Amino acid sequence: MSTDFLSMLQLSDSFFPTGAYTMSNGLEALFKKKKIKERELQRIIQVFLERQIGPADCCALGSAYESAAKSDLAGVLAADDALFSMKLVQEVRSASARSGSQLVRCVRAFSEDKILDGYAGAIRKGKATGVYPVAFAVTCVALYVPKQEAGAMMLYSFCVSMAGAALRLGAIDHVAAQKMLHGLKPTIAKTARENIGRPLGSMWQFAPALDILQMEHEQMDSKMFIT
Amino acid sequence: MAKRAPRLGIGGPVGSGKTMLIEQVVPVLFSKGYKIGIISNDVVSKEDADRMRRNLATERGLMAEDLVVGLATGGCPHTAVREDPSMNISAVEEMEARHNELDLIIIESGGDNITTTFSPALADYFLYIVDVAGGDKYPRKRGLGIESCDLLVINKIDLAPHVGADLKVMERDAQVVRKNRPFVFVNCKTGQGVAVVADHIIRDVLFELPPRAKGRQ
Repeated sequence: MSTDFLSMLQLSDSFFPTGAYTMSNGLEALFKKKKIKERELQRIIQVFLERQIGPADCCALGSAYESAAKSDLAGVLAADDALFSMKLVQEVRSASARSGSQLVRCVRAFSEDKILDGYAGAIRKGKATGVYPVAFAVTCVALYVPKQEAGAMMLYSFCVSMAGAALRLGAIDHVAAQKMLHGLKPTIAKTARENIGRPLGSMWQFAPALDILQMEHEQMDSKMFIT
Repeated sequence: MAKRAPRLGIGGPVGSGKTMLIEQVVPVLFSKGYKIGIISNDVVSKEDADRMRRNLATERGLMAEDLVVGLATGGCPHTAVREDPSMNISAVEEMEARHNELDLIIIESGGDNITTTFSPALADYFLYIVDVAGGDKYPRKRGLGIESCDLLVINKIDLAPHVGADLKVMERDAQVVRKNRPFVFVNCKTGQGVAVVADHIIRDVLFELPPRAKGRQ
């Protein structure tokens, strides 16, 4: 077994410190208005994947991955800038940048890579935001994780974070959470396949109801999650 | 680049007086010229951060309003300061980038159980606070927070006679559990004992250096 496979496990593990457990991506705001059930929750996550995380985050990840693999720091920074600009909700932008910059810092503590160092330097100087999908791409290149797998890992981690938030909000139990993750596997695989290879210029997202939900979360007085 | 400000982590059970201790100790440190920033982790809501901002910044002018930052923890307060302090570290660094004049950054944990500790990547010094109203068994029960913190603070000593707690028992047990490490009895409502806590911070966290505003680089 290669150690690269173990790097995949390490980066996908919810034990890996990226702060994902602090995010509900607007689910907390929705749950306050309406007690959603497992099936509806799964559908919401599918919409996130197909209309936001897939065509925007996964596309940026693929583009940044290609650039990092070619030691093209300018390409990485272009993906960082484009994706950060596309995130409409301040709280979501900020959380993604915080999470990504800490991911870069953590991986640099045990991996040496020129582009990873360059990206970290750009974040430090304010020339990059460290938005999570781009940071994830650069760390995956540094740790020899293949591109397709990197896309699937990020989408899967997003689903785990949503399932975890739903569980802590009391919307589902631990078995339902795993059942839902299993049910999302075909969408995760298809979304990664369809978006990981698209050029940066074709990046898009369109899920206005989810944007509004996340903006409503920003305005909540009492909340458990950052997003 | 200026040296980074030291970080003081404050943990303790819900309602033990973490926020009140900060509200008492910050004015003492401010009166000696120290400039302080606060990151407050709330379990649900941003009430503690809002209260400290109103009290310490808006009404008393002891700090700029953006020097009190509230942070949600996804219902996992100990994870946010130990297993995965990513969001806290980012918040601290963002604060320090905006204010390079700070002498100290206080990170308040959300209320949690007695096993809470801080990641050494987040806090240089760990203060744990319990209160008498939880019963005089607290020091004896040990727990990582009580045993391993740099300074144990026992709050609400005025309530001891009302809840049947014996301060002598707490003192005896704290001496056993803490060995030679310090503990302080306080009443955050009146400020009793707070100066002793401030002295510990000045000596053990700030190493008795003068405030940056008075010429320290």
